[in-house]
Amino acid sequence: MHTKAEVEKLVSSQPAPEPQEAAEASEADDLTLVRRAQAGEDMGAYDQLVRRYQERLYATVYHMTSNHEDANDLVQETFIKAFRALKSFKGDSSFYTWIYRIAVNKTINFLKQRKNRVQMSLNDLDFNVENDPDLVALISEKTPRRSLHLSELQEKLNGALRKLSEHHRMVVVLHDVQGLSHEEVGRIMDCNVGTVRSRLFYARQQLQAHLSDYLK
Amino acid sequence: MNQDSENVDALLKLMALKRHEQPPPGYFARLPDKITSRIERGEGQLNFWERFLAGYTFRPAFAYSFALVAFGALGFSVINSVSTAPADSARELAGEGWRVATPREALASQVNLSDMPHVANWMGNTNAGAGGPALPSLFGPPDHSRAVPVSFQAGPP
Repeated sequence: MHTKAEVEKLVSSQPAPEPQEAAEASEADDLTLVRRAQAGEDMGAYDQLVRRYQERLYATVYHMTSNHEDANDLVQETFIKAFRALKSFKGDSSFYTWIYRIAVNKTINFLKQRKNRVQMSLNDLDFNVENDPDLVALISEKTPRRSLHLSELQEKLNGALRKLSEHHRMVVVLHDVQGLSHEEVGRIMDCNVGTVRSRLFYARQQLQAHLSDYLK
Repeated sequence: MNQDSENVDALLKLMALKRHEQPPPGYFARLPDKITSRIERGEGQLNFWERFLAGYTFRPAFAYSFALVAFGALGFSVINSVSTAPADSARELAGEGWRVATPREALASQVNLSDMPHVANWMGNTNAGAGGPALPSLFGPPDHSRAVPVSFQAGPP
């Protein structure tokens, strides 16, 4: 067992992944677009917001469901619902946090309703994966990874993620895959940073147990 | 501790694989148009209740306060009605000169005991001791003289 201090040290010692380029879009700019969309049903302004956040929202939902079709449906429904509810957006939080929260709630509800009936339909890996030094090292070091293809590793990883509860999986996806900070994850999931850290620690432990053969 | 840290490092490297999963080519170029056309078709239009609930979805504090007030009012009304209703109704009845009837009086008010119907017992008797004309027994031979002709065909019999 780890003490609380050890847990926090272990968690905080992990470098956060690089933030994505799109995350640097200014909040003020978002707010201008939101106000324009709110004022006159300006679809052009809303279209810009969709283009700005579609990739990140899709990635979050896709990593949660491991299914492209479900992710496609959920992302579209998220943007439609956000547009309809845009008048209720007061600007207390950033648009980015607000729309993320809609997507997260929608996805968690969807997964709870479907339970384990969601089938995996994994996207293809891009060409850059062959040049990722970490991944190349990971599959070429030891058995059983030596004989393992990346697509098999992808299936194992997604299978392990699906064994986590929806909330634990969401924390891992937002922090470890998408590179959001603990604070951002807390705002999106409507919980405090301590809860985010403890969920992350527990989820990583579970993943390590499920993927122990590939982490030696 | 080092082992744990190494495992987490390896896990994070493995998680990097997820970032290489990409949707079909051109997907993000088409997605905004699909969303726009669905919005313009009027999909996802919120009805009154959805608009009402949407306010609570995005502002949980309102939802909690609304629930608190609603349950408080419900609880107050239930407690109030339970504690006052029996006393009030008894007082009202007493004021109008009502009193509670005995079981015999209550039965007599509902049923005329001297005009009870005749009922066949298991031996075919029809309460003969009570006087009045004897009714046919349910268990005796059929009395065809009392049969009423019935026709299921249209027109006069």
